[in-house]
Amino acid sequence: MKKYIVLLAFITLSIGLRAQQTGTKMSAADSLLNAMNANEKPAPVDIFKSTRLVLSQTTKMVKKNNFNFQIIHRFGDIAGTNGGPQTAFGIDRVNDVYFGFEYGVSDNFNIDLGRSTIGQLVQLELKAAVMHQTTDNSTPFALTLIGEAGVKPYLPFPTFGSRLSYLAQAVFARQFPGVSLQLSPTFVRDNTPYPSLPGNEQQFFALQAAARIKLSNHTGFILDYAHPFSTFRSNNATFQDPIGIGYEVETGGHVFTVNITNANSVSEMNFLSTTQQRFSQGQYRIGFTISRMFDFNPKTRGDKK
Amino acid sequence: MKYAVIILLVWVNLFNHPGQSLYACKNVEISLFSSAPIEDIAATTSAGTSVYNATTGDVVFSVSIPTFKFRKSLMQEHFNSDYLESDKYPRATFKGKIQEPVDVTKNGSYPITAVGELDVHGVKQSRTIPGTLTVNNGALTLKSEFMVKCVDHHIEIPQIVFHNIAESIQMKVSATYAAAK
Repeated sequence: MKKYIVLLAFITLSIGLRAQQTGTKMSAADSLLNAMNANEKPAPVDIFKSTRLVLSQTTKMVKKNNFNFQIIHRFGDIAGTNGGPQTAFGIDRVNDVYFGFEYGVSDNFNIDLGRSTIGQLVQLELKAAVMHQTTDNSTPFALTLIGEAGVKPYLPFPTFGSRLSYLAQAVFARQFPGVSLQLSPTFVRDNTPYPSLPGNEQQFFALQAAARIKLSNHTGFILDYAHPFSTFRSNNATFQDPIGIGYEVETGGHVFTVNITNANSVSEMNFLSTTQQRFSQGQYRIGFTISRMFDFNPKTRGDKK
Repeated sequence: MKYAVIILLVWVNLFNHPGQSLYACKNVEISLFSSAPIEDIAATTSAGTSVYNATTGDVVFSVSIPTFKFRKSLMQEHFNSDYLESDKYPRATFKGKIQEPVDVTKNGSYPITAVGELDVHGVKQSRTIPGTLTVNNGALTLKSEFMVKCVDHHIEIPQIVFHNIAESIQMKVSATYAAAK
């Protein structure tokens, strides 16, 4: 196949060159330029607009010297016994608030700090981009590794060690035209099984899957799902898989997400372990994410020569 | 693929008769600048490519959009994903002809005008672009400054960020050519 392409290129080229001498369009300059551009470096693909979808973290990195500040809310149940008009469909109740601080040490390495209302969980996260999807598909997908350590400093625990939780995640993502897909195999470790019920496991694997459907250059529709592979949770009918849908708007330095999810909490360490809310009982809620990117690189004002 | 390129280059040269004097530049410097109320927008690249045919006056330029570097990474990201849509239109090109005859054997500075098609964001515009070609002992330097209007190339600026972005962008191009043997 390649041989034919090369052969075809020869033929068109020689025709072009002969024609060029009589002054027609296909020029020697064109051919030389095309040859010069043939082995150019492929560019990385920006798969997602934001570092978080509804539940999942994405492969997107905060760039060097940039700082991303996030406020994420989960309100109360929209319907069911705790919802309805008496709580303004859950708006009156704030189930979880998460403050996120993400800093780009380099384009491929971030340090993140987060604080949740649920469990007063404070978490430190290290995030490293291992590879990026490229425009020429020489790397067909992106891989980012995430490691988190969390502490619940105020609840009564016997020892400091029993306050700790850990999470490790490999995030694989690929952008197809108009749709970005992501899969995240995850390992969760809670030194004290959480929630602390008899028979609960200290550690289990989980899988998160997410998609972003591009609606315009600035907006997208997002879907998010997680499943813990935990026999305790599978055998206990009260546990549910977290599901979220959302609408994402990006305006310059801000990204806004409005979403609906059954998960009560924002942090993976919380919602993978504890989600027990059912859509069928009205236990789904409005949530939103506001993120603002600050750039500590010098302003371009005054660069004019 | 590499071989194909090498063979193509050899082929080009086989047909490169005396009088077909081609000049090439692999590191054309291109910068864009626009002054806006909140913050100036400025980016540069030195990864442009250009070929000038001194016999016919043909001149071509090409630049990969993602090679433009901004001081602010977010600006660079939006430039690529939202405005220039570099995933769909990875290159900007200019194909034209320099109208004035230039004697490449004689040192001097020649004011020139190139007439041709500017292709940015997948939209072609017929343009007449002024510039200066300097000949110095067989080395050619081409410099040009021109404006590109966003609307001409269907680059949409959403109302919500309107104030951050100017409607026309000043481009500066500088290429130093060597004879392509």
